[in-house]
Amino acid sequence: MSNWERLVWNQRGVLLQGLAVTVEVCLIAFAVAIVGGLTLCLIRMHVRPLRPVAIVLIEFFRATPIFVQLMWVTYVWPELFGWPNSFFTAGWLALGLQSSGYLAETFRAGIEGIARGHREAGYALGMPPLLVFRRIVMPQTLLTVAPSIVNQFTVIVKSSTLISVITVQDLMFQAMKLVNVWYEPIEILTVTAALYILFVFLVSTAGKLLADRLRRRYGLAAA
Amino acid sequence: MSDALRQSLDLSLFWEYRQVLLSGLLFNVYVFACSAVTALLVGLAAALLRVNRSWPFRWIGTVHVELFRNAPDYIMVVWVHFVLPLLLGAIIGRRLEFHPFVSAVIALGFVYSGYFAETFRAGIQAIPIGHVEAARACGMGERLILWRIILPQVVRRMLPEAVNQLVSLFKATTIVSLIAVPDLMYNVSMVTATEMRPLPLYTGAALTYFAVIWLAATGVRLLSERWRSKIYA
Repeated sequence: MSNWERLVWNQRGVLLQGLAVTVEVCLIAFAVAIVGGLTLCLIRMHVRPLRPVAIVLIEFFRATPIFVQLMWVTYVWPELFGWPNSFFTAGWLALGLQSSGYLAETFRAGIEGIARGHREAGYALGMPPLLVFRRIVMPQTLLTVAPSIVNQFTVIVKSSTLISVITVQDLMFQAMKLVNVWYEPIEILTVTAALYILFVFLVSTAGKLLADRLRRRYGLAAA
Repeated sequence: MSDALRQSLDLSLFWEYRQVLLSGLLFNVYVFACSAVTALLVGLAAALLRVNRSWPFRWIGTVHVELFRNAPDYIMVVWVHFVLPLLLGAIIGRRLEFHPFVSAVIALGFVYSGYFAETFRAGIQAIPIGHVEAARACGMGERLILWRIILPQVVRRMLPEAVNQLVSLFKATTIVSLIAVPDLMYNVSMVTATEMRPLPLYTGAALTYFAVIWLAATGVRLLSERWRSKIYA
């Protein structure tokens, strides 16, 4: 029986379970990042009194390493705010917060990239600001930033390997556990690395195809 | 809550350990410097492969870029630290072990070489072919064209994005603590283990990294903008 069969194929259940946790955490973090990023962006652009707060938050999320933020959210937030109360929550929260900083800037670039004339045309037709935002600004912004948003998802997947450090049982965690049981890292770590690379490759290829399609169909350049 | 808040804002514990922590931050800088050099050199090589005229070279370059750009930093660090020495050892027939620092530099250097390769390639391909043809017509050799015509333009064009990637690389150096390189995060977790007070220490670490990265990124951006505009003016 080869090492590959003994260490990897026979453990596929555990590894796939880990992969499922990875996907779950990444999807939750992705949702948090999109909602949080859009909120931060809109506050920064339209809510004058809270603008400095939003800028500080965005810069803080963007300029601190994800590992540091993860540790900070995991060990400091429970004492500060009494939440998050599980490592799983801390994991997606840290990943989501970091990416929300990046997405806030992406959204801002997308919104600012829309020609002024479009908005002015909306006002000239008597549309109220909210309607202009919903019908004119947002649809165009979402199209231009869609590829960057997909890209951000790949960043989340890559960073998600770190949540194994706080004992969230994702793919990385299960792989390291197997390594520590068998002391034979070659096969397990290689397969795990290959799985991650394949996963990220598929997502980023999807993002590239999406960007190409948008460019051809609507003549949009990605923001 | 207010007590916890005061504790996190009171960074005196952090200050008490400033020497340990500062030496940790220095390690971050060492790892960063070494892996940045590796990443730039390997990235340049990969970019040159990707714009090569014969397809096998192009193919190798593409595989390199896709492999390393899509790999999470952490798993690459772990893989290089635990698997690569075994594989190399099997080839040379001797037991081999990497110092954590070496593993960190190799892993981060190669991962980021994928990003740099794409940046360089985009820069090289953005240069009008006429420039290269003009240089050839003047009788310049391929290497001279690379150093005198292509690279100076590539560097200027690609500087903003390269700076962003260097910032990411510096941020990625925090994970080397996980293979026991004694960097800032490693020292913080060690001190936390003895003091049992994660609050001020992790907050201090986050603020330190934020200050260093934000100042460096903003500073470099301002300086390079001036340099770039001076050249183009």
